[in-house]
Amino acid sequence: MHKHSPVNCIVPPHMLKNIATKGTEGQKNLAISTLKSSAQMRGQRQALADFSAAAFRVAVVGGKERIIYDARNGSSLPGTIVRREGEPVSADVGVNEAYDGSGVTYDLYQNVYQRNSIDANGMRLDSTVHYQRGYDNAFWNGEQMVYGDGDEDQPVSDRLFNRFTIAIDVIGHELTHGVTQFEARLTYALQPGALNESMSDVFGSLVKQYSLNQTAAQADWIIGAGLLTSNVNGVGIRSMKAPGTAYDDPVLGKDPQPAHMRDYVTTVSDNGGVHINSGIPNHAFYVTAMELGGSAWEKAGKIWYVTLKDKLQSNSNFQNCANLTYQVAGELYGAGSIEQQAVKKGWEAVGLATDGGGTPPPPPSDGCLGSLLRLLGAAPSRSN
Amino acid sequence: MEVQQIKYERTGGFAGLRLSADFKPDELPEDQTRPLLDLLDDLDFDELPEQLTAESSMSDQFTYKITVKTSKWEHTVVTGDASAPDKLQELLQMLDRIAKRRKN
Repeated sequence: MHKHSPVNCIVPPHMLKNIATKGTEGQKNLAISTLKSSAQMRGQRQALADFSAAAFRVAVVGGKERIIYDARNGSSLPGTIVRREGEPVSADVGVNEAYDGSGVTYDLYQNVYQRNSIDANGMRLDSTVHYQRGYDNAFWNGEQMVYGDGDEDQPVSDRLFNRFTIAIDVIGHELTHGVTQFEARLTYALQPGALNESMSDVFGSLVKQYSLNQTAAQADWIIGAGLLTSNVNGVGIRSMKAPGTAYDDPVLGKDPQPAHMRDYVTTVSDNGGVHINSGIPNHAFYVTAMELGGSAWEKAGKIWYVTLKDKLQSNSNFQNCANLTYQVAGELYGAGSIEQQAVKKGWEAVGLATDGGGTPPPPPSDGCLGSLLRLLGAAPSRSN
Repeated sequence: MEVQQIKYERTGGFAGLRLSADFKPDELPEDQTRPLLDLLDDLDFDELPEQLTAESSMSDQFTYKITVKTSKWEHTVVTGDASAPDKLQELLQMLDRIAKRRKN
């Protein structure tokens, strides 16, 4: 079923890693390809993470560096190069959206937070469009962004999703998964996973607001506006302003996001509901940004960014994030400042106090997944 | 090998939506049945590892759970977008299309 390359059979992984970082260009490519395929077969993509910074960060350059690839409806990544940094506009709208969206995301991080790309060290931004056929999703695979075209293989009357590059906040969302990977490394399950998702929604929304030069009051706070076709009764995938109200549709169902800790959803599905419970920290950010007014990326965004970069850890939960954003607001703007008070109001709105009290997270009842993650120290602990 | 039942479940993804199908192959149109059964046969599905997933889930990727029941065995495989080998990707795409058609 799967053919291993000769290199894969005889060269141990540590040697391949050395080749991937120190070999000639051809050797590097072969070693990386072999490591990827063998790790894929073992289901151990994470094994790549430790050396990915060295091996996959292909170009460390002075500024913005983007490459857009076309998977041509296949599954092989990254695909064929269709647009490089500085090249003219393509005839393919998806290519241009991926190029422009990753550019604005780079600009937000660079201009506002003085962060040079995903890894803070000029990492090239690689994106692949036209992934598979009928692939209604976008994801970050630890190395690059990947975008499907939605339900383009279905009859028009049955289509639910448009192409995923259509929404610039989706692009900002995926790239922020990369930032999180290089900073807090929030475990992708339960509350740390929901925080991981929320950080991507927060900065995805800020990318959109920054690109449109909108104030917090002008923004729609919808994640994935334009992603749903006119066949769906919905305005997007998630609402940070009113979690749980983005869609209510006979085929898609109802948006399941809670806006408050009392409605926290305990589930083993979706890595413990990472796309569901993210509604809680999403709403806390929204309330904070609205309290402060003006451009959300300036103060609320700065507080969340510094917290992601310097404070959160891989197993941080919602209460930790509430406490740490409050602490960071105090450090940046002063104890008792209006900024710190805004953060306090944001978390209070979702049932969390910023002094470590408030409504505690529900006791873990997520079965094997929770037990395993607690054993590994990845899940929220029973006490804060 | 006579396949009696196939269960497919897709969870996660950027939208966090669940897609599933539970069907007998003979419920499908003939042009879908044959390629599906051929692919299962080609994959030696019952010999695939039960878990073909990354140690740490990759952000926004789909998680797939496929169960195939025959007269002789029942086998379940859980996998993800980045961890599924090429042939299994083919099966995932095929089951995805079937699940969408049955839903609409």
